[in-house]
Amino acid sequence: MVMDDDELIAALAAGDETALHELFTRHAPWLAARLRAALAVPDAEDVLQETFLAIWKGAGAYTPQGRPQAWIWVIARNQAALLLRRRGPDTAQLDEIPLPGLDPAETALIRAEIAAALAGPDGDLLRIMYVQDRSVAEVAAILGVPAGTVKSRAHRARRMLQATLRGTR
Amino acid sequence: MNFPSAPDQRGSSHDSPGDVDLGRVWTAVAAEVWRRSPGWAERAAARLLRSPGLARALVTTPSLLLPWLISTVAVFGIGALIRLGPGQPAVWLVAPAVAAIGIAFAYGPGIDPAWELSASCAVSDRIVLLTRAVAVFALNAVLGLLASAASGAVAALTFGWLLPMTAVSALALAVAVAARSAIVGAGAGVAAWVITVLATETVSGRLTVSVTSSNAYLPYLATAACCAAAAVYALRPQRGFQ
Amino acid sequence: MNVNLSDVRRSFGKNKAVDGVSLELGTGVFGVLGPNGAGKTSLLRMLATVLPPSSGEMSLLGRDPGASAARRDIRRRLGYLPQNLGYYGSFTVVEFVEYFALLKEMPSPAVPKAVAAAVERVDLGPKAKAKLRTLSGGMLRRVGIAQAIVNNPDLLLLDEPTAGLDPEQRVQFRSLMRTLGQGATVIVSTHLVEDVGAACSEVALMADGKVVFRGTPDELTARGQGHSVGDAPLERGYSAVLAEARP
Repeated sequence: MVMDDDELIAALAAGDETALHELFTRHAPWLAARLRAALAVPDAEDVLQETFLAIWKGAGAYTPQGRPQAWIWVIARNQAALLLRRRGPDTAQLDEIPLPGLDPAETALIRAEIAAALAGPDGDLLRIMYVQDRSVAEVAAILGVPAGTVKSRAHRARRMLQATLRGTR
Repeated sequence: MNFPSAPDQRGSSHDSPGDVDLGRVWTAVAAEVWRRSPGWAERAAARLLRSPGLARALVTTPSLLLPWLISTVAVFGIGALIRLGPGQPAVWLVAPAVAAIGIAFAYGPGIDPAWELSASCAVSDRIVLLTRAVAVFALNAVLGLLASAASGAVAALTFGWLLPMTAVSALALAVAVAARSAIVGAGAGVAAWVITVLATETVSGRLTVSVTSSNAYLPYLATAACCAAAAVYALRPQRGFQ
Repeated sequence: MNVNLSDVRRSFGKNKAVDGVSLELGTGVFGVLGPNGAGKTSLLRMLATVLPPSSGEMSLLGRDPGASAARRDIRRRLGYLPQNLGYYGSFTVVEFVEYFALLKEMPSPAVPKAVAAAVERVDLGPKAKAKLRTLSGGMLRRVGIAQAIVNNPDLLLLDEPTAGLDPEQRVQFRSLMRTLGQGATVIVSTHLVEDVGAACSEVALMADGKVVFRGTPDELTARGQGHSVGDAPLERGYSAVLAEARP
């Protein structure tokens, strides 16, 4: 019987350590991809390790709210921030302008999240619309799709971006 | 190991970046999750014996159940026999060797299922056996102390046999670790026991006549030499290197 | 050369278990084949420094195992899976592998990771905390392999390692051997001819305490041409050589 993530975390909290391996198998690949957007390989591996150890230790405190992946990502992001803070600003991969109200470590990770959320065709669409400042009709012509499709995809991409940014706070 | 990429509904649909070694990461996670934390006794023993392996052998001695039962029966049995026996010094002198043989048998190739594997390890098999002897006597002495409140006979056994043998075997182990030689350690233990017995017998007056007579020295030396030889034989590596 | 044996003999009373074996082995996977009583186990026991030779010269990992300090050094770099390995039923998989890692005098800080790596390598991760008494025969054999490889040995000796393994596990085992053989001398003693053919770059065939064949699996196969005993080419080669060796 295949357990969902909530069940696996509950099993882990109850002492079933084999559940941790299943969680790792499911989530380590996408976590690694996201972390690699902001971190070098050794750091990404360290953060992955600390993330799953934190999941193991913190499974008892998890209450199912329908978004276990978000819970996992928050742990990973916090571990990455800890690592970057320990390293100091010189060794972090940062843009020059930090986001206001956030330290440079958080900034790097949020940029990584946004980059991940904007990967793919929907992200391209938002870039054309807002960065290149094109109208819906112009975007439809560039992409070769109906205007209605452009509107609905833009709406979906904006919602995904909002959800991503909400998850970072 | 293969780690399949997460399906789309789990957030990002990216595959794992090829340069992140997920196998290595999992091994590091597993190492922490599966790590066994040694108890205070094992940590102290590791420092004293200068060997985490010997310390582990010491604390796991009672958990190897069949050898533990056999050696406990041997140790209590020999102790009871010498308490009930004629009380001759020769019996007392031989007893540790008999106990050593009993423990060596209990934890030896016939009974210890992983004996051959242990014999191929860097930590000396003979010193492991000495370590087990200390564990057997020490734990049985504790049991004896607890039972002494209820029984005078057990008290006599504990104070007259188990506690002294715990001290003797601990001395043997300490010397073996320091000299890196089980034979030297066993010899030191036997010498300590012989001295203890003779001193006790002398003080109690039973040996006054025989000790002052030089004719008695040779038999006692011969007995001590036989005990030493018996202890070395008992701790021999069973047709192997040591 | 990691293994250098010169006219090594071992007798038990009048029984000549090993009767003049000379071998020089570097890195790679080396198979020792032979019927029961051929002397394979006695040979491996001598290589594992569990048994001293009655005569002859041995050099293991460049050291003479006759000297106690050298023997200790050899044993730190050795991995051994005996033919009959008993287990401490109350130990878990991790505890058993860790115990022998400690007896091999691995540095304590390195032990947890080495144990985890060894347990994962033999695919026993889900059973890491299971008591040995609850495991099947094939799983116990894999535990034995795990303790043999935990210290990343330079000399790995495996006596009948695939006993109890199912066909898929035997395939994985052969793959593991090939990987380990890239950096170490791996000696596999077995009566399962097909295991040797698949994993070993070189093979010795023992009979009555002597090495009666040494060469590649293909060369052993070639010796079987025209021989009728055996279901597979390598088996026919094995039978042919044994038949020639018998008086």
